[in-house]
Amino acid sequence: MARKIECYADTSAFIAFLDRSDSHHPFFRRLFSDPPPLFTSSLVVAEGHGRFLRRYDPRRALQFLQFLDELPVLVVWPFGAEELMKCKRLLKKYADQSITLADAHGLVLMGEHRTGTCWSIDRHLSLTGVPLVV
Amino acid sequence: MIRTQVSLDKHEYALAKKEAKALGISIAELVRRALRQVLPPQGQPPWMRYAGFVESGNPDSSRLIDDVVYGTKD
Repeated sequence: MARKIECYADTSAFIAFLDRSDSHHPFFRRLFSDPPPLFTSSLVVAEGHGRFLRRYDPRRALQFLQFLDELPVLVVWPFGAEELMKCKRLLKKYADQSITLADAHGLVLMGEHRTGTCWSIDRHLSLTGVPLVV
Repeated sequence: MIRTQVSLDKHEYALAKKEAKALGISIAELVRRALRQVLPPQGQPPWMRYAGFVESGNPDSSRLIDDVVYGTKD
């Protein structure tokens, strides 16, 4: 059996899976039902948590974190001074684009992991040539 | 069906009774529905119980994360 390729998961992938109203929900529901090894940025976790906190309430924001804990295939990469430096370099390179720091960290991580696919619907995440899953 | 007993404190019982009445169902049915919310669907991995756990009503929900988290430009 072929080994599943590691994919990067962005905030939009998590939201599409968790929000049944989202037009991409059925697609991401199918993907998450049998996921490959996934990795993401700690900034994506912060974005997702902030999204549920602002749009809903602290209880749902905690449920989001609980969901990530229960996803055994997911690795969350930390963000520190070194990562910030790498992200700044990337943000300067794409200074004409509205890229968040979370997006930049995702792009840096995908470059370092030589990722084949990105689970996202955000076109910024394909800037460095990694194809989006949608 | 398997019969089981559940102990609730007064406050929880009152809230459950009120909610069940509002929904037009029994307390037993309310408890069954609440359990289905926290248990993984049959034959699915545990994390699948979070699939669609919110319903924003917005089909573009996943596209609008930046607006919700960072706000819109002035």
